[in-house]
Amino acid sequence: MLSSIFEPESVAVIGASNNLTKWGGRILKNLLSGFQGKIYPVNPMETIVQGLDSYPSVLNIPGTVELGIIVVPSRYVHSIAEECGKKGIKGLVVISAGFSEAGNEGAELELVSIARKYGMRMIGPNTLGIVNERARLNASIIGRLPRPGSISFITQSGSLGLALAEWTIATELGLCKVISTGNKAETDDVDFIEYLSSDPSTGVIAMYIEGIKRGRRFLDAARNISKPIVAIKTGRSKRGAKAVFSHTGSIAGSDEVYSAAFKQAGILRMDTIDELFDAALAFSCQPLPQGKNVAIFSNGGGASIVAADECEIQGINIANLTGETKEKIKKVIPEFASVSNPIDTAGTVSFKIYNDSIKALHDDPNVDAIIVIYVHTMISNAMPPAEAVVEMKQICDKETGKKPIIACWMGGVGTEEGVDILKSGCIPNYPVPERAVKALSALIRHKEFLETVKTGNAQAGKCL
Amino acid sequence: MKILTEHEAKKLLSKYGIPVTKESIAKSPDEASAIAQQIGTPVAMKISSPDISHKSDVGGVALNVNVHDAKSTYDKILLQIKKVASDARIEGILVQQMAPPGHEIIVGLKKDAQFGHAIMFGLGGIFVEVYKDVSFRVVPIERNEALAMISEIKGYPILKGIRGRKPADIEAIARVIVAVSEMAQKENIIELDINPLIVDEKGAVAVDARAMIDV
Repeated sequence: MLSSIFEPESVAVIGASNNLTKWGGRILKNLLSGFQGKIYPVNPMETIVQGLDSYPSVLNIPGTVELGIIVVPSRYVHSIAEECGKKGIKGLVVISAGFSEAGNEGAELELVSIARKYGMRMIGPNTLGIVNERARLNASIIGRLPRPGSISFITQSGSLGLALAEWTIATELGLCKVISTGNKAETDDVDFIEYLSSDPSTGVIAMYIEGIKRGRRFLDAARNISKPIVAIKTGRSKRGAKAVFSHTGSIAGSDEVYSAAFKQAGILRMDTIDELFDAALAFSCQPLPQGKNVAIFSNGGGASIVAADECEIQGINIANLTGETKEKIKKVIPEFASVSNPIDTAGTVSFKIYNDSIKALHDDPNVDAIIVIYVHTMISNAMPPAEAVVEMKQICDKETGKKPIIACWMGGVGTEEGVDILKSGCIPNYPVPERAVKALSALIRHKEFLETVKTGNAQAGKCL
Repeated sequence: MKILTEHEAKKLLSKYGIPVTKESIAKSPDEASAIAQQIGTPVAMKISSPDISHKSDVGGVALNVNVHDAKSTYDKILLQIKKVASDARIEGILVQQMAPPGHEIIVGLKKDAQFGHAIMFGLGGIFVEVYKDVSFRVVPIERNEALAMISEIKGYPILKGIRGRKPADIEAIARVIVAVSEMAQKENIIELDINPLIVDEKGAVAVDARAMIDV
């Protein structure tokens, strides 16, 4: 059970160190910084490690141990894994490198067979570790725990995976699980997707993929999970085919096939890292739209046109507002401003303008989603409209059917406090309109996947 | 690994219900003439050899041949092949119904290491060569997915009929795609091209095909 790895009651760090520049020191420190379960350092050379009694072997630990984290040179890994098995440990995270990635496939297979012999699940080897924010468990070399959130991030790459995890934490994106897959020897993407599918705290899965091990099983697992999966698959430039027997053979590189397979399995393939996390953020805190008709509301005409142009590219309709909606909005915006979609307040900004207008748009049966834009100027304040959006969102969610609201607070200095309000109110915010529209587009595409290819039950993202 | 001749590849297509051009292998000039008469001229005549996969590159193809010229064309092609590819094993000359007018389509299959087989659809001729305006799916697929593949290429309006061009029988293309998907699951195909599949308002016919199979 992967739950022994992600939700253990007790953890042993084999190769724990007092030296914080060593991974065995770093990981123990990370565990100590949040995890409330039992923590056992194992190091035959020390009696005390970071203030805890150290054990020469896991077999000397008095109580039961559920998870073993192995951070020792590769030549010791097999015997330690054997000991973990004998101890009755249920899950292993093998940080140690020097296996298939270094050409030692045999050593990796042997490690897998030890894990299987004792019924242990294993992540790695050559993993950066795992994080479960819900359990305050940081069994990784990632510097600190992320903000709580419903995004679970599965990453394959070593240093890039680490950088991405650190970066998401720095941008205060809310994360639930971070899984560095390592060499995918005993567990791979299929296992992780299946585990996260039934994990109540995961609302959306973001993946950084370099290659898949069990293609057909992977597609089945993805099709069966109703939670959105957004993914980056690298290696686009490598054209699989040199042979020119057929046209099909010369065009069908592995990348084209990946794109097709992802589409058939309902995986949202993203082009850039920005898009990956932009979409994940929107999924993590907004409901899915019922259709593809969007209302765009802005205090600046230019920004709303940029948004409308991107909607056109993404195949999103600009909603036809009802007369009633227009009447309601007319009451709060200046006479010379535009009440047809996209709505432009001609520069005027206030709590009431944003509040009443968004309420009207939210109540309009022709509107499936709302993009709210605020363009910062010297004479406007970014906070009142942000407060209005957050408050309105809470009220609207209770009163009528849920519709996603995506924000774009533009302008840098002076907008930060408004952005913070949006963030704490669980409104996804983006610095430019195109990114807001692309994030909304991901919600719409997932909704379509649920209606066409997905076989699991629908489940919206959630705000924590 | 074995490369099928055009005629063998088409027999495989027929087995899965994909319409192919009327054709037969002639072993002699007289047979060529008889087959041409039976099919109704003009016909296409193509060298059939397991060693020659690019038939027109070696001068092994003659188009629009009349029944009276079938005999002499048979000799002409053989003479030409003896000149440029003297070692090639010759099975005979494939005498074939000329392709009817219509839209040129390509449907292909490729074995993929990760996902099994991938199926490709696109407009043939320069569209596939230059613009690579194609769509892919992993097999197996059914009719709806085949229709989605067809409609998602940029050139789709051409198939619907624009500027006086007649529309293509979209359902017939979808049937071919679904049949190829079925074939992928049952035959050991490494690569397959149906190129061109000619599609008019009421049907599709495979005019040329190439296949590489695992044996």
